[in-house]
Amino acid sequence: MSATAHRSGALVWARRNLFRSPVDGVLSILFGALSLWLVYKTLSFVFVTGRWDVIRVNLRLMMIGRFPDAHVLRLAITVVVLAAWGGFLAGFIRARQIRSGHASDERVPLVARLGDVAARLWLPAVVVLLLLLLSSTAGPWIIVGIAIVAAIIGRLVGPFAGRPKLGPVGSGVVVAGLGAVPVALYFYVVTAVGFDDWGGFMLNLFLAVCSIVLCFPLGILLALGRRSTLPLVRVVCTTYIELVRGAPLFVLLLLANVALGFFVPNSLAPSTSTRAIIVFTLFTAAYMAEIVRGGLQSVPRGQIEAAKAVGLSPVRQMGYIVLPQALRNVIPAQNGQLISLFKDTTLAGIAMGLFELLNVAGAITAQPDFRGQGLIGETITFAALLFWTVAFTMSRESQRLEKRLGVGVR
Amino acid sequence: MTDDNESAVFADATEMRGSGTAMIELEHVDKFFGKFQALSDINLKVAAQEVVVVIGPSGSGKSTVIRCINRLEEHDAGRIVVDGTELSNDIRNIQEIRRETGMVFQSFNLFPHLSVLDNITLAPRKVRKLPKRAAEELGMAMLEMVKIPEQASKYPGQLSGGQQQRVAIARSLAMKPKVMLFDEPTSALDPEMINEVLDTMKELAASGMTMIVVTHEMGFAREVANRVVFMADGQIVEVGTPEHFFENPSEDRTKLFLSQIL
Repeated sequence: MSATAHRSGALVWARRNLFRSPVDGVLSILFGALSLWLVYKTLSFVFVTGRWDVIRVNLRLMMIGRFPDAHVLRLAITVVVLAAWGGFLAGFIRARQIRSGHASDERVPLVARLGDVAARLWLPAVVVLLLLLLSSTAGPWIIVGIAIVAAIIGRLVGPFAGRPKLGPVGSGVVVAGLGAVPVALYFYVVTAVGFDDWGGFMLNLFLAVCSIVLCFPLGILLALGRRSTLPLVRVVCTTYIELVRGAPLFVLLLLANVALGFFVPNSLAPSTSTRAIIVFTLFTAAYMAEIVRGGLQSVPRGQIEAAKAVGLSPVRQMGYIVLPQALRNVIPAQNGQLISLFKDTTLAGIAMGLFELLNVAGAITAQPDFRGQGLIGETITFAALLFWTVAFTMSRESQRLEKRLGVGVR
Repeated sequence: MTDDNESAVFADATEMRGSGTAMIELEHVDKFFGKFQALSDINLKVAAQEVVVVIGPSGSGKSTVIRCINRLEEHDAGRIVVDGTELSNDIRNIQEIRRETGMVFQSFNLFPHLSVLDNITLAPRKVRKLPKRAAEELGMAMLEMVKIPEQASKYPGQLSGGQQQRVAIARSLAMKPKVMLFDEPTSALDPEMINEVLDTMKELAASGMTMIVVTHEMGFAREVANRVVFMADGQIVEVGTPEHFFENPSEDRTKLFLSQIL
């Protein structure tokens, strides 16, 4: 009796939502069949027809390129230190937020906090697990294990560095130290293995992170310059923005790779990877500048008037009142630009011959064991999965940031 | 307040003006927006502790006058002197006058990304260089004064219009200004919230603050003002005590305006 009622409920739902009219019915059947077919094809590719041994064999090449065996330990140490650094930073920031009243200091039950971490990190975690399962040695398992422990220890220690009793000098030392760690790690790795021998997904990530960090302040300066009252500054910034936005990124990368040699002697010219970072930075900064300018224009006049009326200097009006609101308003557009920058690092492979992930994905299908077997589908799919994972995580974190900063929305 | 009291205050203020302690002086001030003359030949002296209410039809230049005093608008001719300092194009000079002059806007203009307390303490900390602790104590005292200390950690968007405007008043007062300028402070408020803001302003006036208030609240003008200034078409048409102004105005333009609004 109740089963019939239930079934008739489902039938009613289907009739109402899928088969309301003859056209609806045809479309429902058509798209239903199409979806089923797509799911079937995908599953059979992933689990049956796909030849994933090409990934398994070349996993290391895809992740770190031709990084020499002798120095892989430095990468492992870097990963562990970065994990501890990230955990420490998270704890430190949280303690500071509680101190300044921007976060509540209520004790959240451990289960809820772990749930929150899981909700944020499950996707990258699943992909890392997949990579570990694909790897044929124990090394990566050990590194990831130690990194997780390091991150947890960092998270537990971090809040102590955010305590008020450290005073402004102590806090300054902590902040400077936090800024110095990534730079020190860079030199730790690069003194052993020159920048141009880096490769794989590691190189994509590194190019993107460096360019993002550098293009952000440059973009803000360009935006402010374009709105400057000094004609020379305005003209220079506007010309720069319009010139760079008008050129294809690919062409700029080619120019940096080829044409630079005509102007600068080879001994003075920066390495190829450095050139790539410079081009990505300069290119994205021009776009960022326009996004930030849009944000500046979205701040109502009254805000500037109020800032003036309480006696803030022009620099402080900008720094405390206008920029924070402007940047908050354009988080979605900014993040779109940064995701785009991250994916564009693949262009450096083709334009400059850097051995980044997409380049590796193409090259390994030409190995003697795999040549002529049409495995590009497998390698490209795998590369796409890695890019998508990072890009999607960036997108979600940006939405989270928007929500956090939206506390006092107008 | 009896009539005697009020005229006594007025006499007192006049006397101060006479003895040269004018807090604000405008002499022959002109202001153009393009070709449109927004202010022509404005002359006004405001004594210390005096409350001057500026009324007039919209577009008459009321707001422009007070916006010229703290250089949110630049006047094209004439002199503006605030507490002995003449307003010039020197940015330091402008900053100095803005430090001494509080302003309350029609649309509040609170900083939406800062908490209520941070809205109030920002300028004292960055401009007056107060340490954080002292600024926060000052900020809380200001919030007590406008009777909403419990809202300190909220954001402006979480407050009612009347509360926001009181925070805006507290924000201005935290700079310990010598003059307060009010630009239609109740025009954007729902009717039931107007009184809480007017009451705050009345207390401020009673405490001896020098105030110039642009408003359409005739009750407030009648009760609190030492003098009423009536403006039309960018000119000051008539200046007088509230009694004179509301009971027995001399100019036809004033009579017409009063007949339209009362």
